[in-house]
Amino acid sequence: VTGPEAPEVVGVLREILAQATGREELRATSDEAPLFGAGVGLDSLTGVMLLREVHRRFGVDVAAEDLNLDALATLGTLAAFIEAHAR
Amino acid sequence: MMIKCVIWDLDNTLLSGVYLESGAQSPPPADPGMLGVLHELRGRGIIHAIATRNPPEAAQHAAQASGLEFAAAECGWGRKSDAVHRIIADLGLAPDAVAFVDDDLYERAEVSLAVPQALVLSPEDMADAVGWAEFSPAVVTAEARRRGEMYAERRRRQEEARAFAGTRDEFLRYSGTKVTIAPAAAADAPRLHELSVRTHQFNSTGETVAEAALRTLIGSPAHQVTTVRLSDRFGDDGLVGGCVVEPGERAWTVTLLMMSCRAMGRGVIEALLAWLVRSAAREGAAALVVPCLVSPRNVPLRLALAASGFRAPDAATPDAATPDAATPDADAPGWRVARFSRALSGPPPGLPGWVTTPGEP
Repeated sequence: VTGPEAPEVVGVLREILAQATGREELRATSDEAPLFGAGVGLDSLTGVMLLREVHRRFGVDVAAEDLNLDALATLGTLAAFIEAHAR
Repeated sequence: MMIKCVIWDLDNTLLSGVYLESGAQSPPPADPGMLGVLHELRGRGIIHAIATRNPPEAAQHAAQASGLEFAAAECGWGRKSDAVHRIIADLGLAPDAVAFVDDDLYERAEVSLAVPQALVLSPEDMADAVGWAEFSPAVVTAEARRRGEMYAERRRRQEEARAFAGTRDEFLRYSGTKVTIAPAAAADAPRLHELSVRTHQFNSTGETVAEAALRTLIGSPAHQVTTVRLSDRFGDDGLVGGCVVEPGERAWTVTLLMMSCRAMGRGVIEALLAWLVRSAAREGAAALVVPCLVSPRNVPLRLALAASGFRAPDAATPDAATPDAATPDADAPGWRVARFSRALSGPPPGLPGWVTTPGEP
C-alpha cells in the first residue's frame, strides 16, 4: 500500500486547519508557515481538533508517535510525518 | 465514580405530563419531586441536561418551569442513546460520570445497552439516588455550584465565537477576557483539590492531591502555589487552574500543572506558562522543567507545552506498550513521565494585555 501523495495531504490538512480554527483564510497557509505562534496560532483546542481529524482521515495518531509533537511545526512537516506513518 | 451530569427525559419524568399532548397555552408543570432533586443536585455542583423526543421549545419550557439553566439540551426523534452520546461529547464528560433518568422502560433499556457505563435510573430511583455516594461530593466549591450556568455561558460564548470573524486573540479581547494569576491562599485549597480530581486533559501528573497536602504546600517556603482565575463578559469561571513550583537555583520545576478544560482555547494555559517562564527567568534560573505524564488523556497539555517552546530531551516515541487508546487510564502501568523543559535564555515571552498578575514587579 502506498501513502497518499504529498501535495494532496497538504491540501487536506489546509482544509482541516480552516475548519478547526473557523478561519477561511488559513486555506492559503504555506506549507512552511509555523503552526504554533503568531500567524496560524495553533493552540491546544485547535491542535486537538487537527490531531483528531488527522487520526480519522489518515489513521495516524501523531500524539502517540511523536512525544514532542515536532510534526506540528508546519503543514509540510505534518504531511511528511503522515506519509511516513500511514499504513 | 461521581456523577457530574444528570440527563433528563421530559415527558412524565421532569415534567408532570406530556408536552405535545398539552396545549401550547398550558404546557405541563415541572414534577415537584423531580424539581426538588434537580435543585438539590445543582447545589452539589452536579449539572443537568435534557434528552427529549420533543421540539426545542419543550427544553425552553422545562428551563422556565424549573428555573434552571441546562448545560445541554438534545431535542429530536432519534435514539436517546445518540442524544446521550452527543451530550457527553459536547460537555467533555466521561460516560461513567453521567446519569440518565427516563420513565420509559424501553428508553432506559436502549441507553443501558448503548452506553453501558452510564447510570440509568427511573424517576422513582432518582428520588432515592439523591442519597447515594455517586451524587454526594465531599466538597462543594463556589465554582461547582455555578457549574451549570458556566456551561450555559460557554454555549453562548461558543456561538458568538463561531460567528466572529477574526483570530482567537481578537475574540478573547472582544470578549473582555481577564486572566488573573496570583499566589494561592489557604482558602483556595478545596478548589485546587477539586481541580486535581476533575482535570484530565490539562493535568501534568494525573494524581489527586489532598486538601491538607495542598495547604501544606501553600504554606511551604520551598514551594510556590499559584492560582489562575478567568472571567469575561459572558461570565465568571472563577478559579480554573493552578500549579505547584519548586524553585531551584538552576531550574524551576513545576511539580503539578492543571487547568479546567472549560478554560481550553481561551489563552489561559499559554498565559500561565509564559508567566512561569518570566518568573523563573527573573529569579535567575536557567531552565523551567515540567515533568509530565505522557498519556492519551492529556494531549492538550502536551500541545500547550509544545506551543510554548517546551521539549522533552528523551524524545523517543511514547511507550509502545501503552494500553489501548480506547481505554485511556492515567493510572494504568506503562505510562511514563517525560521531563519537558524550556531554556530561559533569550527574551522572555510577552504576556497578553488581558493577563493580570498581582505581585509581579
